[in-house]
Amino acid sequence: MGARGVVGRVGLHRLHMGGGDGGTARTVKSGVHHRTAQISKPVQLRTALGSDFVGKERECKTNSLETDSPSSALSDRRPTTPGKKRLLLTLSVLLSFLAGLPFLLKSTEIYRSPLPYASLSSLPRSDPPSVPCRFHALFLRPADPDLADRLALSISDELRRRRRRSADHPFGCCGGDFAVSVTVDSRGSCVGSGAAPACLWSCGAVDPAEFAGRDDEAVDELLDSALNGGRGECSGTICCGGGGGGTVYSVVVVQGEEGDERQARVVVGKHRHAWMVGRIDEEDAVSMIGKIFAKYFMNGGVENGGGKEEFMPVGSDGSVVLSFSLLNADPNDWVYDWEFQKIGENMLAPVAEALAPIANISIESQVLYHTPKSSNSLWDDKLDSWILSIGDLPFFVNSNEWHLDTSISATGRSKVLQFVVYVPSARECPLYLQLPDGKASKTNAFISPMWGGVVVWNPPQCSSDSQKMHTARNRISAQDLQKILEVFVGQLRLLFGVNSSHKESGISKFIASEKGFTEWELDVLYRHHACSNILSCLTTLESLSNLVQSLPRMIVTDEIGKQVKLSLEAAYLAQRNASLGINDASAESSTKARALAEDAFFHPSIMSISYSSIEHYFAIYMPFFAPVCLHVLLAAIKEVKRYRRERAKYLAFLAAQAGSS
Amino acid sequence: MAIDRRRPKPSRRSHFVIRETLLLLFLLLICAPSPSSSSSSSSSSMHNNNWAVLVCTSRFWFNYRHMANTLSLYRTVKRLGIPDERIILMLADDMACNARNTYPAQVFNNENHQLNLYGDNVEVDYRGYEVTVENFLRVLTGRHDSAVPRSKRLLSDEGSHILLYMTGHGGDEFLKFQDSEELQSHDLADVVKQMKEKNRFKELLIMVDTCQAATLFSQLNSPGVLAIGSSMKGENSYSHHLDSDIGVSVVDRFTFYTLTFFEKLNMYSNASLNSLFASYNPTLLMSTAYYRTDLYERPLNEDRSCSSYEWLKVLQDRLADEKSDTIVMYGLGTMILLLTVSTWLST
Repeated sequence: MGARGVVGRVGLHRLHMGGGDGGTARTVKSGVHHRTAQISKPVQLRTALGSDFVGKERECKTNSLETDSPSSALSDRRPTTPGKKRLLLTLSVLLSFLAGLPFLLKSTEIYRSPLPYASLSSLPRSDPPSVPCRFHALFLRPADPDLADRLALSISDELRRRRRRSADHPFGCCGGDFAVSVTVDSRGSCVGSGAAPACLWSCGAVDPAEFAGRDDEAVDELLDSALNGGRGECSGTICCGGGGGGTVYSVVVVQGEEGDERQARVVVGKHRHAWMVGRIDEEDAVSMIGKIFAKYFMNGGVENGGGKEEFMPVGSDGSVVLSFSLLNADPNDWVYDWEFQKIGENMLAPVAEALAPIANISIESQVLYHTPKSSNSLWDDKLDSWILSIGDLPFFVNSNEWHLDTSISATGRSKVLQFVVYVPSARECPLYLQLPDGKASKTNAFISPMWGGVVVWNPPQCSSDSQKMHTARNRISAQDLQKILEVFVGQLRLLFGVNSSHKESGISKFIASEKGFTEWELDVLYRHHACSNILSCLTTLESLSNLVQSLPRMIVTDEIGKQVKLSLEAAYLAQRNASLGINDASAESSTKARALAEDAFFHPSIMSISYSSIEHYFAIYMPFFAPVCLHVLLAAIKEVKRYRRERAKYLAFLAAQAGSS
Repeated sequence: MAIDRRRPKPSRRSHFVIRETLLLLFLLLICAPSPSSSSSSSSSSMHNNNWAVLVCTSRFWFNYRHMANTLSLYRTVKRLGIPDERIILMLADDMACNARNTYPAQVFNNENHQLNLYGDNVEVDYRGYEVTVENFLRVLTGRHDSAVPRSKRLLSDEGSHILLYMTGHGGDEFLKFQDSEELQSHDLADVVKQMKEKNRFKELLIMVDTCQAATLFSQLNSPGVLAIGSSMKGENSYSHHLDSDIGVSVVDRFTFYTLTFFEKLNMYSNASLNSLFASYNPTLLMSTAYYRTDLYERPLNEDRSCSSYEWLKVLQDRLADEKSDTIVMYGLGTMILLLTVSTWLST
C-alpha cells in the first residue's frame, strides 16, 4: 500500500515536470526505485520461482537470531520440516494433466466402424464356385444289357476330352463336377446306367411314335412334361428336376423309323433338353451328345466360356434401364408415333421377368423429333435404296442432337441401354444397312456393346410415290412394332452376350422362347453373372479395405460397416447357392452382394482430402498444450528438487542435533 | 579353456546358418511381391467410348485465357465426336457475362475474333463455386452423393478412353483451384490409382497447361496413363498473345499449338499421338512440353529418344518379371560368397 502510494506520487510529479529535465527525473526515479526496492521486497518475494528467497530470508532472520558458528555449515540445515503445500499443488496440477490425457485422446479419436478384414482375406477368390451339373441321356431304342453303362462311359469320356481341350476357360462355372447318367427305354422296360437315379425318367412316358407326328414345339412341351414329371422327388441325396440339387440337362435320342434314311434331326428345345430323331449310329450320337452338353448347355454356345466383361451391361446397383426411343429424323416429311405402352410392355414383360435375378429391369420410352443422323448415306442402284456401310456405323449416332439420356428413373449408378428406332427422312428413304458381302441386312439393325442398339425402320410411304402430303400423324402398325420389338429382344440377347447365330453344322433348329431366352441360356447367364458378380464384389471389398487401411485417420461410418457386412453375407449365400445348383437364387444374391460392395466403396464420405493427417492433429493441439505442459512439468520438477533439498537439510540438522546432544 | 575354444566354433557355424537363412528370407520377402504384383492387363477390355473432363481452375477477369483455353478444347472435342453427355466441363464461367467484357456473351480465343466459343450449345456441368478440388476428385472417383444427377457424373467403364485437361495457375507439384485451394500431385496420383482399381478407364490422357506442369505427374504410377505437360519444373508457361480490344491475353501457347494440330483433323481422321508430340516446338512454346509415356502400354510408333527416361525404362525392364529371378540369384550368390569370405577372414 505504501509502495503504491510512492509510485503514484512519482507519476504525478513526472507529469507536472512535463519531461523537461531528464536528469532530475532520473534521480527522482532512481530514488523512488530504491525506496520501493526496500519496501516492496517482501512483495517481490512471493513469486513462484522466488521461493528460494523466502527460504533465504527466513534463513537470514534465523541466522541473525542464531548465536553461533560460521555460515557454511548453517546453510545446509534447517530445524523445521520443509513445507509440503507448494509441492502438493504443483504435483496435483501435473497429475490432473496426466489423468486428463486419456480423456483427450478418447474424445478426439476418429470413429472407424470395424470392418471384417479377416473374413475378407479368407474368402477364396481364385476358383469359381463349382456348380454341379447332371447330364442325362435317354435312348429310346431296344436295349442291350450293358448298353447303358457303355454309353455312359463314352459320354463321360467325350465330355472330359472336351474339357481338357478348352482348359484355359473353365466350363462356365459348371466346371467342377458333372455326373453323367444314361437311361435306355425300350418300349416299357428301362435300363439305367450305374449312377442313374430312378426318378429322372419314368419308364414308358413317351412313345417314340409321337415324335413323328408332331411339330417341334409340341414335342418340346411333351418332353418337358415327361422329363420334369419327377420334379421334387428325391431319392437319397439326389433330387430330380431343375429346382434343387443341381440342374439336369437331358438329351433324348430316338431311333428313327425302320427304313427312314434321312439324316438325323437334332433340335435343341427351349427348356433344358434336346432331342435327336432319325438314323444315327452310336458314335455320332455320343459325339453329338457331348457337343450339345459341353458347348450349349454348359457354355451357352460360345467356344471359350471365359468372362467377357463388355457383355455384362448391369449397373453397379444391379439395375438396368431399357430406354426405347422413336426418332423422327425430319418431321416435315412424316411424323410417326407408336403404341409402346400396350404392345411393348406386353412383349417385354416376360423378358424382364426372365432377367430379374441378374438385373432389376425398368422400361421407358419416348418419341423424339428433328433428330437427323450424322453420317451420310450413298445411293446404291443395285439395291435401289440408300445404303450405309459398316464403316459409317460408328458415326451414325448423332449424340449432339439425339437427346437420349433423359431418363428420370435412372439413378447415378444404374446402366442405361438405349434402343433406338430411326425413321429416316424422305430424302434418304429407304435406308438400308449393307453387310460387308454386299447384301442388305435383313433386320436393318446394329448394336453397340454397352450402349444399346439401333433399328432403321423405313415407313411404308417411302416406297410408294410420295406425292401426297403427309401432315397427319401416323402410327407404326402393330405388326411392324412387334417385328421391331423382336429385333430389339435379339439385340438385348446380344448385349447380354448370348450367342444368337448358331451356324453350327449338325443342329437343325434351336427353339426360341417367348421370354427371349431359353432356360438353358438363362442358366448359363445366371451362372456367369453369379461368378463374375461374386468376383467383382470381393475385389471391390478388398480395394475398400486397402483404402481404409491406408488412411488411418479416415472416419469409417457405420453405414459402410453395415454395407460391407451385408455384402459379405450375400456373397457367402451366393456361393452356397451356386454350389447347390440353385442358379437363380445365387445370381440374385450375387447381384445384391455386388451392389452393396459398390455402395460401400463409392460412399461419398470416403474422400482422402477431407481427413486430417497426424500432423494436422498435432498442429491443432500443440500450440496450447506444449507450453502449458512445459511449464507444469518444470514447476513440478523444481518443486520436487527444492523439497528434496530442504528435506536433506532438515535431516542433516536432525543428525547434527542427535550428534551434538 | 578347452571349453572356451570349443564353444565359439559351433556358435559361429550356427550363427552363419542363422544369418544365411535370415538373408534368404529377407531377399525372398522383397523379391516375392514383385512378380505377383503384376497388374491386370488393360488390353482385355474393348474400347467402347470416349470421355473428356475439361477443367478450368481459375476465376477472375485477368484469367480470361484459361477459360478460353478450356472452351476451345471443349469445342474441339465436340467437333471430333465426343457428345455432351460424355463431356464434363468445369468452369468458373465468369467471363462471358463479366461487366468488363466489351463483347458481352462472347468468348474468343484469338484476336481476330473469328470464332465465338461461347455461342452454340455449350453445356457447363460445374460452374462458379462448384469448381472445387473436392468436386473434381468426386467426379474422377465417382463418389457422389446419391442426389447428384447423371449429367454431372463421370459414367465411364473399363472400355473408356478419358481425356483430362486442366488449365490454370500451377507450381511445383500443385495446381491452384479458384484462388483458394490447391490440388497436389499426390492427390491426383491417388485418385488415378483408385480409378484404375475400379477400372474406370482403359486409357487416360492427362494434359495440363500451367506453369511447371510436369511436376504434377511426378507421383503417377498407374498403368495406362499418358501425361502431357506444357512446361517442366522451373519453367513457366506463357500466354500466346494479347488482345488489345478485350484487354487481356486470350489464349496460352501450349493450348494454341495443340489446337492448331487438332484443327487439321476431323472426326474421320486417324492421327497418332506422336505426331501431336512432334508438333510442339519448344522455341515457339517458350517452354519444354513434357510428356510421360512410361506408364502407357501401347507403342506410340516413336523411337524413344527421350533419353532422360531411357535409364529408368532400362531399369524397369531389368526388374521385370522374367529378369528378377536372375538378379535374385546373382545377389544371393554374391551375398553367400561375401559371407563365407568374411567368416573365413574373421577366424
